[in-house]
Amino acid sequence: MILDRVSRFLTAPAAAAFEELALAAFAWQFERIEPYRRLCTRRGTTPETVRDWRQVPIVPAAAFKTMTLAAAPAVEVFRSSGTTGESRSEHHQPFPGLYRQVIDASFPPFCLPFLAPEAKLPILSLIPSRDQIPDSSLAFMADHVLSRWGSPESAAPFGPRGVEATKARSWAAARQREGRPVLILATAFALAQWLEALERLDLRFRLPPGTALFETGGFKGRTTELNRQDLLARIWSWLGVPPEFVVREYGMTELTSQCYTRALLGGDPDLFVAPHWMRVRVLDTETLEEAPPGSPGLLAVFDLANLGSAVHLLTEDLGVAEGEGFRLFGRAAGAELRGCSLVVEELRSAS
Amino acid sequence: MLRDAFIPLSFDHSRAPAFRAVEHPGVRYSSARWSAEPLGRLVAALREGEQALRQIPAEDLVAAWGDTVATFLRPGSLERRALDPPLARLCGLSREGLGAGLEAVLGGVRREPAAVLFARARPASADAGPVLAVLASNLPGLAVQPLLPALALGRPVLLKSPSAEPLFAPAFLSALVRREPRLGAAVAAATWEGGDAELEDQVLAGVGTVLAYGGREALDDLERRAPGRVIGYGPKISLAVVGADVEPRQAAEGLARDVALFDQRGCLSVVAVYTAGDGETLGQALAEELLDLARRWPPGPPPRPALVAVQHLRLEAEMRGFWHSSLAPREGTVVVDPGLELRPSPGLRTVRVHPLADLSRLPGLLQSWRGRLQGAALAGEAAWSLEPKLRELGISRFSPPGELQSPDATWHNGGIDPLEALTFPSPPSPAGRR
Repeated sequence: MILDRVSRFLTAPAAAAFEELALAAFAWQFERIEPYRRLCTRRGTTPETVRDWRQVPIVPAAAFKTMTLAAAPAVEVFRSSGTTGESRSEHHQPFPGLYRQVIDASFPPFCLPFLAPEAKLPILSLIPSRDQIPDSSLAFMADHVLSRWGSPESAAPFGPRGVEATKARSWAAARQREGRPVLILATAFALAQWLEALERLDLRFRLPPGTALFETGGFKGRTTELNRQDLLARIWSWLGVPPEFVVREYGMTELTSQCYTRALLGGDPDLFVAPHWMRVRVLDTETLEEAPPGSPGLLAVFDLANLGSAVHLLTEDLGVAEGEGFRLFGRAAGAELRGCSLVVEELRSAS
Repeated sequence: MLRDAFIPLSFDHSRAPAFRAVEHPGVRYSSARWSAEPLGRLVAALREGEQALRQIPAEDLVAAWGDTVATFLRPGSLERRALDPPLARLCGLSREGLGAGLEAVLGGVRREPAAVLFARARPASADAGPVLAVLASNLPGLAVQPLLPALALGRPVLLKSPSAEPLFAPAFLSALVRREPRLGAAVAAATWEGGDAELEDQVLAGVGTVLAYGGREALDDLERRAPGRVIGYGPKISLAVVGADVEPRQAAEGLARDVALFDQRGCLSVVAVYTAGDGETLGQALAEELLDLARRWPPGPPPRPALVAVQHLRLEAEMRGFWHSSLAPREGTVVVDPGLELRPSPGLRTVRVHPLADLSRLPGLLQSWRGRLQGAALAGEAAWSLEPKLRELGISRFSPPGELQSPDATWHNGGIDPLEALTFPSPPSPAGRR
């Protein structure tokens, strides 16, 4: 069965060829997801006609907001956070086990490259837990990371009003005294919140050498690039974690797998790299054909682990391909009310 | 070189802000650097110009106004030849699209409709003070809409241009004052970063009324800082209704114009069409007309976020099995959506056609949009019969297809009489406007 083959491929890349699995996954979804089959047949594209994974019809991430895309009955339903008035994406995930395997296979090489197999370490999670947000795929991931690699000293000081700064502070003080490297999981927003609290108290930590920080979301887009640089400087200044120990993650509710930067391995801190079961391409926004190298465009992801919903996904994120990875420019704004308030400057700045 | 400011004659020019050259891609102009103090003096100068303004006979003002508008309507005029290339670039429109847009905006404020407005106007009270008009940049030429009624009421005006398009307002004022120099002390145009309380405090304290075109957040912020004096024109959308008896091709021609004008950036741009006839037939006709317009009014460079949203919308339509046009994304997109929910368009001339056999259901379907609808293009008797109920939802403009985006000077934008909006001290406050 395709699920087993994909599952094996995550840990044994030599067990199969990406291309072969991609076409098999397409055939599997074509058979089981009616709206997707409609899209394919309308284009005259079927498993019999497709020879290359790039030809597999692509599913727009926006479709997760308005229709159910499920190749099998859902075990978990993940929802995007969304902003006020915005519809939320729903990812019907029939294979949460596969999601855990994805984390097991991709998180350590990027975020814990120096941790011995089966070893654990103190983790501070500034990400809401599953108890707090049961339908968050990020919370699912953070909970799994905590249970899989978190030592007993690990903590998740995140309450209804965000980061519980006092608890986080006490945790950091204790770890600083112990001198063992730790891992911090955080969204950029939560991190900024905690740093503000430390700045108010003028309290600086020097977390043990080798400490790493996993950061996700919240600082996309070139207009906020300075903010990100500012965040990195503040992390160094107030936590003692240098920029080369901050790993960025690129993930989304509609996907099962994630991309990471190779910061801990000396790689470019802003270049995202996909694991071997994922392919990321940059498409021309007008034609949806592959953009020439170096040209910015729309990110399209082929994620074998997204077997339960859409393996070939068109994101709403803009980026540019570079070397073995891609740089992220930001998310394209959704449909807004037209009219008297539209500011062309805003449109241009995102062009 | 074009300037981004028009400074009234009564302003102490020896203490005017410094101008410096600004470069946008393909556009170069001279820009004034304002700080709080000169902005405060600018408003004070306008106050001093009020008396001179009120002494100008209305017929003289109307003549100068009409002549200026006529000049700006002529693409070959000196003013247009200087202004069109930078304006098109700054607004992200093609030259042809800009021309069509200016024709629509300025066509409604020619001499005749302006004279009608002046005839109806009574001078505002002496302590009404200057008007500050905070403009948005989506529509070129929008400055004329608040300017005309203010002048008709004898109130000095400061036009705050958006930083994205700061050139039309000063160019228009400059041309107007050349024709009627007595106006020179009562009008001004400037641009600065909006929302800066320190910079704007003196301006807001010195004006009697603020007419603001902008997003909800910006309007609320202004209302906080100038309580009771802000008339806000917030974001709205428009739609069309086509009766079963209307020949689709005939309706499509006008509808395409209502969709494509200003590259669908106006609050009067049609984003959805409800039809009692066959949706696909109308959709097909509309797509053909949009293609024709894409040749006559080529779209401006498409903003990438809009392209992304349109690509997602098209793919989603395919997944749902909806009919959609096969035009290139920048030429326009027509989707025949059997669902009846009104949804905003991502732009780029994108329109959803909703088949609705019983049009009388439409006002009920639009209830959740009450207060956020601006105009309706109506085709056929059944569509026009809906006008009273659509008006109750807050729609303030009705027209046959093709004319929706060309209101004249007497249009009650958002249901607000343009003269009453400036009648101090108790401007009108229709639901959802202030």
